[in-house]
Amino acid sequence: MESSSRGGGGRLSVHDIELKNVSRWYGEVIGLNDVTCTVGPGLTALLGMNGAGKSTLLRLITGQLRPTTGELLVGGMEPFANPAVYRLMGYCPEIDNFYEHYNGFQFVNFMARLQGFDGAHAKRRTAEVIEHVGMSERAHKKIAGYSKGMRQRIKLAQAMIHDPQIILLDEPLNGLDPVGRREFIDVLGDLADRGKTILVSSHILFEVEQMTRSILLLHRGRLLATGDLREIRGLIDKHPHKIRVETSDPRRLATYMLDRANVVSARFERSGTAVQFEVAEPDAFYTMLMNVIDDHQLLVQGYSSPDNNLESVFRYLVSN
Amino acid sequence: MIGAIFSQALREYLRARKILPWLLLTSLCYLFSAYLGQLQPGITAQGKYIVSSTILVYHIMALASAIYTTSIISQEVEQRTIVYLLTRPIPRPVLLLTRYLASVLVVYGIGVFGAVCSAAGSHTWSLLPHDLVAMLVGAFAYGGLFLAISLLFNRSMIICLLYAFGWEISVPSMPGEMYRLSIYSYLQSIANHPDVEINAAIAGLASPKSMHLITAWICMIIAIVGLAAFSAYWFQTHEFIGREDAE
Repeated sequence: MESSSRGGGGRLSVHDIELKNVSRWYGEVIGLNDVTCTVGPGLTALLGMNGAGKSTLLRLITGQLRPTTGELLVGGMEPFANPAVYRLMGYCPEIDNFYEHYNGFQFVNFMARLQGFDGAHAKRRTAEVIEHVGMSERAHKKIAGYSKGMRQRIKLAQAMIHDPQIILLDEPLNGLDPVGRREFIDVLGDLADRGKTILVSSHILFEVEQMTRSILLLHRGRLLATGDLREIRGLIDKHPHKIRVETSDPRRLATYMLDRANVVSARFERSGTAVQFEVAEPDAFYTMLMNVIDDHQLLVQGYSSPDNNLESVFRYLVSN
Repeated sequence: MIGAIFSQALREYLRARKILPWLLLTSLCYLFSAYLGQLQPGITAQGKYIVSSTILVYHIMALASAIYTTSIISQEVEQRTIVYLLTRPIPRPVLLLTRYLASVLVVYGIGVFGAVCSAAGSHTWSLLPHDLVAMLVGAFAYGGLFLAISLLFNRSMIICLLYAFGWEISVPSMPGEMYRLSIYSYLQSIANHPDVEINAAIAGLASPKSMHLITAWICMIIAIVGLAAFSAYWFQTHEFIGREDAE
């Protein structure tokens, strides 16, 4: 299912990630199965359950692995062991491993040196990114004593050290407290607003929804859906949308609405103050609902769409 | 960039908990050469030095090389920190060979320390320069071999230790041309120690067959260059990622 092949819209640029029929096998086991997609500027979420192939995809894009079949280009270049690609790209891996005897500043500074910065420039840049990720006060403590959240910030700092155009983050929100997550998401949003291509893998659907509407959904190695979350949701016609309407007279409202062609069912809540409809075309339903309320002078306190979120989209797609 | 890789690797290899055991072990060469006379009465000062360096120092160096060289990539893979190195704009061969050079330097330093201890214990310094040259060749040759093994095999440390402890000790004393399959034999030819009388109990360990000096040099240079080039090629063209990282 593909609503739009673009993460952030626009034509293909040298900063795009492009996969054509990419598969990756681990011996007899397939890690990624015939994936075709592109990712452009903006923030795109790579969604999937554990074992879906998210990390395999990121490792292919970062050139740690080679596709078994298919073609994968980053900025128009094959990424495997290609230094030119690593000048464009910053990668924040999922692993929690570091050179534990280093402190945060030393680690990020070392990464800056590997990126090609000279000594003084590396230190200056290190100080900047460490401040950006909110680690200035703790940067000179040994990494071995860092919390999970502090480690995540240091990993983000090393990925941003050379101000790359493409940033790949593998489960970056793991271990962050709510405030930290909010700050992290803000940092990513800021980078996306600056035109960076950001691909974030996650299985925390709620947080992904807060970050972006643009998703790549993987399941068992296959790409189930790409594009805008709402557009994808609209394409799922096998599963009617649920719309919950709060009203003092739910049965009367249901009587009027069930006559309509696109209303599949109505379910009353025990409280007697709300009814949940299943509808095939939500936009048309909302128009009809307004007309019914107006025509029959019904009192409606509010309405919501409980399955118009990522959790539901994910559940619907993977259940097929 | 290369300087950063080299200094980081050197810093890693010279951490106290890594280097101190080697320095303590090699310092035993001083005691061994100083008290060898009690094991073999009448042995000359040169004899003490030669026995100490050939039996202890070269084998300790091979052992140190096995440990240090296998950590160049294998340890990074096991610790999963390899990802930070492989996603930087550094050609993989440069990364590998720079870290290899750092390990060679450390292994050579361990060998030199052992040789100096042997010379100090035996009170003879005249043979030291030959050994310093042979040990430098040895550090490169053992490093090259163990580097290639570490890239080719999982659990390469076991293979390397078996080579350093088993092969290098037993093969030079085997009959026929088997000694040519041992780096140690070539190093002894390059060191070119004078013949000394050695106690029968340790003679087997210290008396490899001699070969022509030029032959030894040519073989070692070919081995070093060939193994380093092979390792660089292999590292450039193969995936290095922790098994547990594969979904």
